[in-house]
Amino acid sequence: MYTRDRRRWRGPKFVLAIPAIIWYLLFFVIPIAFVVIYSFGTKDTSRLLPVDLGKLTTANYSEVFDDTFFKTFKATLRIAIVATLLCLGIGLPVAYFTAFKVSEKWRVVILALVVVPSFTSFLIRTVAWRIPLAPNGEFSRWLVDLGLIGDRGIQLLETPTAVQIAIVYNYLGFMILPLFVALDRIDVRMREASKDLGAGRIATFFGVTLPLAGPGIAAGVLLTFIPMCGDYVTATVLGGAKGNMIGSMIASQFSQAQNWPLGSAMAVLMIGAVLLVLAVGALLVSVVPFILKALQPVTQSIRRSLNEHSMASAKGDLPSTARRPDVMRFVFAVWTVLVLLFMFIPILLVLRHSFNSGSSFSIWAGHTSTKWWGELFASGATWAMIIRFLVIIGVVLLVRRVLLSRANVSKRVTSWMGPLGFLLAFVVNGLASDWFRDIFDFAGIGDSIRNSFTAALGATVIAVVLGGLSGVALARRPGAWTKIFMATVFLILVTPEIMDAIALVTWFQRVGDIPVLGYLFRNGLGPFNGGMHKLWVGQSLYASAVVTLIVRARLAGLDEALEEAAADLGAPPARAFRQITLPLISSALIAGALLSFTLCLDNAVISTLVSEAGSTTFPVALLGATKSTIKPFWGVGAVMLFMITMGALAFVAVVLRRSGESSSDIAATLAGG
Amino acid sequence: MTQDHTPPQLRMLAPENFREKLSRRAIFKMGTAAAGLAIVVAACGGDDDASPSTDGAPDTTDGSPLASGDWSRVINAASGTLAMYTWGDYNDPELVGKQAEGALGVTMKVDYFNSNEDLITKLSTSGGSSGFDIVAPTGPYIPQMIEKGLIQKFDKTLIPNMVNVDQAYLAQGWDPTNDYSVCKNWGTTGFIWDSSVITRDMVTWADFFDACMDEATGMCSVLDTGPNLWGAWCWANGKDWNSTDAADLDACEAFLVDELAQHIKKFDSYPSTAIAEGAYSLSMAWNGDARQAFYRIIEAGGDPSVWKWAVGGPVTELWMDNYCIAAGAPNVEAAHAWINWECVPEISIQDLQYHGYHTGMRDMPDLISELAPDLDRGEIIFYSDSQVATMSTQEITSAIDRQVEMLNRMKAKAGA
Repeated sequence: MYTRDRRRWRGPKFVLAIPAIIWYLLFFVIPIAFVVIYSFGTKDTSRLLPVDLGKLTTANYSEVFDDTFFKTFKATLRIAIVATLLCLGIGLPVAYFTAFKVSEKWRVVILALVVVPSFTSFLIRTVAWRIPLAPNGEFSRWLVDLGLIGDRGIQLLETPTAVQIAIVYNYLGFMILPLFVALDRIDVRMREASKDLGAGRIATFFGVTLPLAGPGIAAGVLLTFIPMCGDYVTATVLGGAKGNMIGSMIASQFSQAQNWPLGSAMAVLMIGAVLLVLAVGALLVSVVPFILKALQPVTQSIRRSLNEHSMASAKGDLPSTARRPDVMRFVFAVWTVLVLLFMFIPILLVLRHSFNSGSSFSIWAGHTSTKWWGELFASGATWAMIIRFLVIIGVVLLVRRVLLSRANVSKRVTSWMGPLGFLLAFVVNGLASDWFRDIFDFAGIGDSIRNSFTAALGATVIAVVLGGLSGVALARRPGAWTKIFMATVFLILVTPEIMDAIALVTWFQRVGDIPVLGYLFRNGLGPFNGGMHKLWVGQSLYASAVVTLIVRARLAGLDEALEEAAADLGAPPARAFRQITLPLISSALIAGALLSFTLCLDNAVISTLVSEAGSTTFPVALLGATKSTIKPFWGVGAVMLFMITMGALAFVAVVLRRSGESSSDIAATLAGG
Repeated sequence: MTQDHTPPQLRMLAPENFREKLSRRAIFKMGTAAAGLAIVVAACGGDDDASPSTDGAPDTTDGSPLASGDWSRVINAASGTLAMYTWGDYNDPELVGKQAEGALGVTMKVDYFNSNEDLITKLSTSGGSSGFDIVAPTGPYIPQMIEKGLIQKFDKTLIPNMVNVDQAYLAQGWDPTNDYSVCKNWGTTGFIWDSSVITRDMVTWADFFDACMDEATGMCSVLDTGPNLWGAWCWANGKDWNSTDAADLDACEAFLVDELAQHIKKFDSYPSTAIAEGAYSLSMAWNGDARQAFYRIIEAGGDPSVWKWAVGGPVTELWMDNYCIAAGAPNVEAAHAWINWECVPEISIQDLQYHGYHTGMRDMPDLISELAPDLDRGEIIFYSDSQVATMSTQEITSAIDRQVEMLNRMKAKAGA
């Protein structure tokens, strides 16, 4: 330790985290502080910022605790808790089956099928739920014809039940992945030992598997419960008056009611409520072992009887024990297939309704029509784009092959050529030729797709740089600062998106008064024109927090010896970082980048509030359209967006495999391992 | 603004063969087909430069005069992107899409809001950098938007077609000189219901509230704006919705929050799609959206004949939405060009046929009989003098905050 410290540059320990610290201070801590201050103000609509801070009051808080508003709070928490438990209940068997009961090949297939739906626009999937839930829809009519339900059809649209269904659907993937990773990491020998020692299947599951999967369950619960609490899209699209959630209520306080103090108070209390629920949850979990211990006599007797049963059957011959797992396996398999079907229902509906002959996305007008797709290929721009894309990729691959044939070219160089080529094709196509606009010359939908990618790419770069650096600093140079920094990161993760959005919207306006920075924000230069920078800032917050955690977790699991050895051998810190640390965390960075990119691409809440007309992204435009009639071409747009994203991911995956990164390793890191 | 009206029966006066002829010509002139745009430009004698070409002479393309009087059909070219923040389903998609691109050379981007408050918040929180060029506020909200510096003055020389707008719809109290705004269209508020569920006669706002809490309980939607709900309560109870009487406000809030809220299915400013999906059996709606509901119902394979529309009685609202140019608009030139283009009678009537609101053009009956003789469900668009006489325009009073808060408490209560 002594030698390492002597050779390293003696900056403060948090030097690598400085960019992130500045970023969080500027775009999270201060803006959120303002929201907290607003919550003590009074409403004054005659001002541009309708808050009077002249006389501070706590009246807003007492108003939230007023019966009517408080009920929405409780309803939101109820929906979120129920949905989290449902996700756990539905997802656990799938994760269990995938981790223990299938071959490696099928494991990849199932995981891919779980992940793929989340690459379709979150919003269009939510809107698509209107189709099967509509009382006059085909599904409803079938059920009526079959005599399963009454004449008036399914009465679920615009109800809390619809929100409950869609919210479980929307977050199920975020539960299954961490669960899988946790289960997958369990040493099989533990389970075998448990069985060898006479424990039955159920006893092994509850006594060994489940406790070992604890961290995964915790990760899954956090990844689903927190965003659910702040969810605003699902309730707005499907909820009606009775399915109102706190997220949409806070949003309407800011936009429609112009009651920022009340909205701020609600947002502050909401963070409190989320933290409270998490604390209670943690407490319950910590109590579980004691309960189990208390119940030991009971469980033991159950276990004993089960054991006798299985021993008895095992005594005869092996086939009988081998048959029972088959039955269980079959049940799990059926369940998994059903869950996967559930996850694909809205996606298939989106695809089908992009061929709707009618004028509204959600109302099937009787027959298929390619008119909405026709616009895509009408101008020839789409063909030109496809050809341009293939040519660039082809050339890059060719160059790569040539380089590979020369022994003196490092493999590291060639392995990065693939993604770079893809990026090049993307940039050339997207920025140089305006093809997005050409192919959808209808109401700016092409622009919105391009804006989505520009925003998500920018935010991802910021997230990877900030998160990567601070992740390294956290893992390698811990100190007194770590706790404060981690608390901030955790706060970013638990803050409902709607509150970030509001904090940023009001903050951006105040930033206008700061010299230099304000000039950039107001008048716009390059990227600061058209509001794209606001999206980068807004989307990068959550994403960078996620990357930070992933990188930190990755490094924490790795021995520091390599870096020390580099330092001992005289490598300057920058070189040691580049040659040792960076390769070590590359899979974490890639996983973080992928996750950030997906999250940013789907970001609707922050983006809607901070975006300007020139930087409308796909989810923002679609959310706007939900207020009116959603035309079927939104389905076309969503399918296109999906295909472009999938193409990009497939390409990245192929390249990663070639460059030696294990995709399962990345999947593991991705899911918070 | 109560002067003009078009009795729906007017279009029935034309003989059948004459109507057919007109119709064909109208379609030709209006260029509803994408390719027809060039024809519109040609027919209107508009140039790409801004030279005014008031075309008072009989229409040269088919030799018949278009309605009466002189019509200005200047079309100014612009370029770039034009961002509009407006109400849902408020323009013919063809107009904001291909036609605007062809005629004006601008690519339109349209985003939507639910209420005037939403619009004002979006503009004021962005501090002049919202990126929107055109916004469509309701008249009474214009003074505060001028005061807060959210909209900018027109260059009226770039909107010569404003002469096509009926005097009755110009020089309104909120902008007497039309320096900031010009009428986009006006409409009214009523309700649409499924007569197989609500079999009785529905005439007044009292009937509406009654049915909402009775036959249509849990299947009823109301507009997502505070003033409209306050208004409906006033009209049902014989009060003036522009009064600020505290007792009335209290009584209204008590009714809305404690009695009505629990029966509401959704606060929905654009119920037409959800009506077709079967989500509501009674909806408070603006007339144009109600008209669209009928088309959606047909598209969804439903039976439009069981659905009925009524303007709320004994009193209801008359509102006028206006085109304004946002402060800090990135493309002021295109914004003027668009507003001016929308004042061309053919374009205006094309839009009217889509959104179903009176666009404020003068000589409306003649325009309709010539340009859109086959106009469907005109009775939801146009109202007689006696009907218009029952309509009242909103004023922004000191009670506006209270009206909005009422809606919020009602929403909270409905969700509980």
